[in-house]
Amino acid sequence: MQAMKQFITTDEKLRQLVHALSKNAWNIISAGKEGTNFIYINDGKDLVINADSKPTKLSAKEFFFPKTEPLFFYKKNHDGVDLLDPKDVLRKTVLFGVKPCDAAAVPVMGKVFNWDYKDEFFNRRVEQTVIIGMACSYSDVYCFCTSTGLSPESSKGSDVFLKPAQNSSYIAEAVTPKGEAFVVEFSSFFDAANENDVKLLLNSPKGPEKKFDANQVKQWLDGHFEDPLWNEVGETCLGCAQCAFTCPTCHCFDIVDESCGYNCGRRVKNWDGCQFGLFTKHASGHNPRGHQPERYRQRISHKFKYYQDKFGEILCTGCGRCTRGCPVGIDIAEIAQEINKRNSVLV
Amino acid sequence: MQELIQAAQAALTSKEAAFIIGYALTPDGKKTRPFIARTPDEAAKLVFNHTCAHNLAVYLTRIAKPKEGKMGIVAKGCDTRAIVALIQENKITRDQVYIIGVNCSGVTADVTLPFGADNLPSKCIMCQVQVPPVSDVLVGTAAPYDKPKDAVTERMQLLEAMNEHERFAFWASEFEKCIKCYACRQTCPMCYCEQCIVDKTVPRWIESSASLRGNFSWNMIRAFHLAGRCIGCGECERACPMDIPLMLLNRKMGMVAMQQFNYRHGVNPEEPTLVGSYNMQDNNEFFK
Amino acid sequence: MNFINDDIFMAEEKFEPKITCFVCNWCTYTGADLAGTSRLKQQTNARLIRVPCTGRIDPVFIIKAFESGADGVLVSGCHPADCHYNTGNYHARRRWIFFRELLKQVGIPESRLHFSWVSASEGKKWVDVVNGVIDTVRKEGPFEDYHKVNTEFAFPEPEEAVCS
Ligand code: SF4
Ligand code: SF4
Ligand code: SF4
Ligand code: SF4
Ligand code: SF4
Repeated sequence: MQAMKQFITTDEKLRQLVHALSKNAWNIISAGKEGTNFIYINDGKDLVINADSKPTKLSAKEFFFPKTEPLFFYKKNHDGVDLLDPKDVLRKTVLFGVKPCDAAAVPVMGKVFNWDYKDEFFNRRVEQTVIIGMACSYSDVYCFCTSTGLSPESSKGSDVFLKPAQNSSYIAEAVTPKGEAFVVEFSSFFDAANENDVKLLLNSPKGPEKKFDANQVKQWLDGHFEDPLWNEVGETCLGCAQCAFTCPTCHCFDIVDESCGYNCGRRVKNWDGCQFGLFTKHASGHNPRGHQPERYRQRISHKFKYYQDKFGEILCTGCGRCTRGCPVGIDIAEIAQEINKRNSVLV
Repeated sequence: MQELIQAAQAALTSKEAAFIIGYALTPDGKKTRPFIARTPDEAAKLVFNHTCAHNLAVYLTRIAKPKEGKMGIVAKGCDTRAIVALIQENKITRDQVYIIGVNCSGVTADVTLPFGADNLPSKCIMCQVQVPPVSDVLVGTAAPYDKPKDAVTERMQLLEAMNEHERFAFWASEFEKCIKCYACRQTCPMCYCEQCIVDKTVPRWIESSASLRGNFSWNMIRAFHLAGRCIGCGECERACPMDIPLMLLNRKMGMVAMQQFNYRHGVNPEEPTLVGSYNMQDNNEFFK
Repeated sequence: MNFINDDIFMAEEKFEPKITCFVCNWCTYTGADLAGTSRLKQQTNARLIRVPCTGRIDPVFIIKAFESGADGVLVSGCHPADCHYNTGNYHARRRWIFFRELLKQVGIPESRLHFSWVSASEGKKWVDVVNGVIDTVRKEGPFEDYHKVNTEFAFPEPEEAVCS
């Protein structure tokens, strides 16, 4: 078997690559400056490739699963209704500088979007996009990728993966066939890496300490649907769903019709979140998850048990956004840690 | 700290309060978060320090009212304004709450950074209530701290200087970021409606899509619903994951209340609410 | 720009503003009716929405009017001390004091939102007020700032329907 294809490139070349891509009408998205969001760029000087940067406020999921996506438009006419699909004008897109915790979320979400019904909106976006992941040397108290089976250097979900090396150069790995094709298409910006180049690689980032064992969390969840823990951790949750909206793997949506006036409108798919009271409320007024602790249990259980049961993976990449932004300081890793503790008492 | 714990334990032991909504340290010991103590033992975990930015009054309308005893709450001066406001709006009565007032020396804007003049939220820069004006028992000491210039005031002036199109464009660029997570509403002590207008679907007044039209109507209507009611705690802006400067709207409404009616909400529990009352002498100049 | 596609307002050469009026049943609507039965002439850009009382006008109605393509809004009801329900207009007035300032803060100028008190006997005043509002808004031009936030809701021409 052939070894992973490795290339060497530089900061300067990547900026030139942006220039070439923009000439070829690609959409180019770069992680914004520290703490901000992914933005569309056109100019190499706006490219941010910074292994030390803090994760953006919103994850990269909005480029595959946008916060609002029109499904079709409608208009009443004399004999009925005209329907119109949103025209597919998606351009080829490249996402630069995606952190492992964001990139890994794409195949994770892909499972639910391709389980029985194939979500063409999600799939089309994934197909059109080349994800250039990047090893991450940031880590703060909120990060826990290492507890979710990932690491600051995992290339899961990336098509091309960059690792910083000396003299502002990068060792690039073509992870997927799509990534390889991309590197081939833009081969003037990537040189084949030889053994000496690889020696230039900087030391692997340490990454956050491992905080919990996800398998043990699942074991405990299997038997503790009812447990005092849920009230302890969930009663101060305000149900704002900031956690779900900023999460790279949360994928719930709500489909609504919106009118433009008296005779036309559109049907759209919007982000939704299980921490809202309205999320499970029935038309009758009954709410099977009537209290916040039950909603919080859903969040933890979906992430560490249900998704695992159904798709064999946990629904969390350890980016820490939910905790970083929670207005009342609820910490998902700490809860998983607590579950670990309770589990080991049982064993 | 001991004072706070003793006050809380006394209230729980005497059954005056059924629980105390307060702050406890997170396991790393570096920050605090809301915590509800139900027994004197649990009350021993209560703390108060510079990271206690949250306005806990939000829980008074979220939590189930106890059958016996009062709802105990640890409140800074600014938080007591929310409590008084809730009393003015008949959401709670004064004798349903047991207020452990904490003298406050300011809180941090960013809990991960040390407390200091460059890490103060706007509410602390403008604070006039380091000593809570209302309480059943008062604990702690209020130390003076350095107050820099207030960034919100400066941004208000910038906005003031813009023409209408620039201002509209400014808000369009801000509202465009809104993801309709409603964190602003959920953390607001004065947003307690059983069904928020944005959740009404027949008819749907405000689109739930995170698109510019619905984002404009949502943010304008929320600011309007808080007009004359916002007590300026800044929780909405603190919670907003997209950093939308919501206080530029709320502050403006507060200024109108002050300038035209000489009114501050949440100061006098006996006073009728501003928008719930009227005066025949109100400004009539803008009517043709 | 997706309210009602009345062709008369679509004439290319001259901009004709669309004005939405929220009027109370007891005074202004009756006053406007009087203007009609007295055969007073007025410009035809105004569409009236009758509500029981100015106190019934939720500010969200006004936003909805702008969303639906209005270039200007007029709110009108009984004079102070004349309200059919005694105090509806006083409550409304207090809300507008805030709402006007809020809109200004967001960049929606006073010239887009007007207020008046017109009684059942003031048919002539109604005509003057409406004509005045229409003239002001015509001078201001189409409310493009707000129309822009609406575009994604309109039924697109086939080549415009995008999924970006
Ligand atoms: S961000 Fe925090 S308060 Fe908001 S829903 Fe999530 S856990 Fe609850
Ligand atoms: S506003 Fe005043 S009382 Fe409130 S946290 Fe700041 S300093 Fe303390
Ligand atoms: S609107 Fe914001 S500042 Fe005002 S009371 Fe609510 S959360 Fe506090
Ligand atoms: S925005 Fe308005 S309707 Fe919604 S909860 Fe707040 S006050 Fe109530
Ligand atoms: S918290 Fe911010 S992003 Fe969320 S709905 Fe409110 S304004 Fe929008």
